Amino acid sequence: MTEQPILEVKHLQHIYMKGTPLEHHALAGVSLKINKGECIAVIGHTGSGKSTLIQHVNGLMRPQAGDVVVDGMDLADPKIDIRLLRRKVGLVFQNPEDQIFEKIIGDDIAYGPFKMGLPIKEVRDRVKWAMELVGLSFEEMKDRATYALSGGQKRKVALAGVLALRPDILVLDEPTAGLDPRSRNELLERLKTLNKKENMTIIFVSHNMEEVAYMADRIYVLADGRNLVDGTPEEVFVEAEKLREHYIGTPDTVEILAQLKAKGFAVRQNAYQLEEAANEIIALL
Amino acid sequence: MKSLPYFNKREMRKIAGFEFELTRNITIGQYVPTGSIIHRMDPRIKLAVFTLLVISMAICDTYVGNFLALMFACLLFYISRIPISYGLSGVKPAIPFILLLALLQLLFYSEVASGGEVLLDYGFIHITTDSIRLVIVSALRFIEIIFISSVLTLSTSTTQITHGMESLLRPLRTVKFPVHEFALIITIALRFVPTFALEMEKMMKAQASRGAEFGTGAWWRIVQRTKDVFPIIIPLFNVAMSRAEDLVLAMESRCYVPGRERSVSKKYKPSRTDYAALMFCIAFAIVLLTFPFPY
Repeated sequence: MTEQPILEVKHLQHIYMKGTPLEHHALAGVSLKINKGECIAVIGHTGSGKSTLIQHVNGLMRPQAGDVVVDGMDLADPKIDIRLLRRKVGLVFQNPEDQIFEKIIGDDIAYGPFKMGLPIKEVRDRVKWAMELVGLSFEEMKDRATYALSGGQKRKVALAGVLALRPDILVLDEPTAGLDPRSRNELLERLKTLNKKENMTIIFVSHNMEEVAYMADRIYVLADGRNLVDGTPEEVFVEAEKLREHYIGTPDTVEILAQLKAKGFAVRQNAYQLEEAANEIIALL
Repeated sequence: MKSLPYFNKREMRKIAGFEFELTRNITIGQYVPTGSIIHRMDPRIKLAVFTLLVISMAICDTYVGNFLALMFACLLFYISRIPISYGLSGVKPAIPFILLLALLQLLFYSEVASGGEVLLDYGFIHITTDSIRLVIVSALRFIEIIFISSVLTLSTSTTQITHGMESLLRPLRTVKFPVHEFALIITIALRFVPTFALEMEKMMKAQASRGAEFGTGAWWRIVQRTKDVFPIIIPLFNVAMSRAEDLVLAMESRCYVPGRERSVSKKYKPSRTDYAALMFCIAFAIVLLTFPFPY
C-alpha cells in the first residue's frame, strides 16, 4: 500500500526506572506500521512489552528512543498538541469498568466530550452515537445508575466513554478479559462492526488466539520487547514452533489441522477460521 | 485549540514519560535487595539501632557531632550498597519544609537560644551565634534522620520490619496491647502503598485518555482543581474497597482468626555481626550524646 500509515512505530525503546537498580527494559526496539482501517492484534507473553507499547500510541508515554508517528504527529516532539492526539487515539485500558466514576451512565460517557469543550447538543449526539455503537439503548439506559450494571454492561459503558471522543484509532488492552462468553462474543461483534462500518482503525492486545484469528487483519507478536513475527494470521500461525518457544499458543483450529496433517491427512494448513477448519474436516469425512 | 507553548526542563522530564510513573516517586515500602551485610542483619537489632541513632541524633546539638552523624549516615549507604541518590530523593520533598523551619527558627527562637554573641538586633529580630547553630544543626538532623530511615526501609523488607517490631513490642502484651494486630495493620498498610500507587497511575492514565487534565488549572480555582481529581479518587476508592473485601476472604479462607495465638515461620536469631553492630552503635550514640565537642 502506498498511502501513509496512520501509525508508525520505529525501533521504539522504553526502560522503566531508568538509572536505578530496578531498571527494566520493557521495550527493546519494536516497530509497527499500521494503515487506516486495519484491525491489528498485538500478542505476546506477559512482560513482552505490549502494555508499554500501546501507552505510547496516545502519548501517555513518550519515546525514550525510536519514533512514534501518529497520523503525521511525531510524539518525540514536545510541542505537539497532546489533547488533539488523545482525541485521535482512544485508549481502552484493561478492566476499563474501574474507571467509571459518575453515578449515571450518560454522565460518565459524556465526561470526555465535555472535557473537549463541546456544546451540550454535540455532547448529547456523541453520547447517543457511542451508546448505540456498543449496543446500549440511549433512551433506556442513559439515566440508569452505573453501579447496578453487570460486568459486561459496565465494560460497554466504559468503551462508549472512549468512543464518545470519536477517535480515528481505537486501542484496547485485553478487551474481553474477565467477560462471560456471551458478553465476549457480543463485544467482539461490536468491535468488528466498528472496524468495518465506521472504518475505525483498531489495535487490540489479546491472549485469546481464537479471538485474534477471528478479528485481526494482521498480527504483531512481541517477545522480550522485540518484534518476533508479524503478518497476516496465515503467515503468523505457520510459525507455530517459534511462537511456542515464547509460550504463545496458536488457535485450536491451527493445532488440529497441524495434527491431522502430521497423521497424513490432506488438509489446508491456513484454514484457521473456525468454519473453514470445520469444512476441511468435513471434507475428510 | 490551545497548543502547549513552552516547556522548562522539569516539564520536559514530565512529558518524557515520567508524568504518570508514581511508583518511581514512592520510596516507602520499596526494598532494594543488594544482599549487603546490612540487609542480612536481624531486623530487631536493626530497629533497635535505628531508634537509638534517631534519639541520639535528635539530642546531639553540636556542629561536630552532627557532622559525624551525617558522615555515619552516608557510610551506611555505602555499606548497604544502596545508591545515595535514593536518600537524596527522600530529602528533596522535605527541602521547602526544612527551609521554612530554618527561617522561623532564625527569626523567632532567640529566647530559646539566647546564648552566644549577638549578631543582629533589630526590632523583634535577635540573631545570635546560638540561634544560627540551632538552624544549621536542625537542618542537618533532618537530613541525617531521613538518610538513616531510608537505609532502614530500603534494606529491610516490610515483612521483616513488622516482624521485628512485633517481636520488640511483645512485652506490651502484658498490658493487653494488641501487638500482633498492630503489626498486621502496619504490614497491610505498607503492603498496599505500591499497589494503590499502581492503581492510581492506571486510573490517571485511563482518565487522561478520556481528556482529563490534572493540576493544570490555576491554584486559586480550588473548586475546579478538586473536581478534577474526582475521576481518580472515586474509582480508586471503589478499587480499595473491593481489594479489602478480597483480602478478608483470602485471610479467612486461610483460617485467620483475630486474636488467636499464632506461630511464626521464621525465628530470628541475632548473629555475632548483629551484636557487634549493636555495640558499635551504642558506643557511637554515647559519643554523640556525651562527648564535649568544641563546636
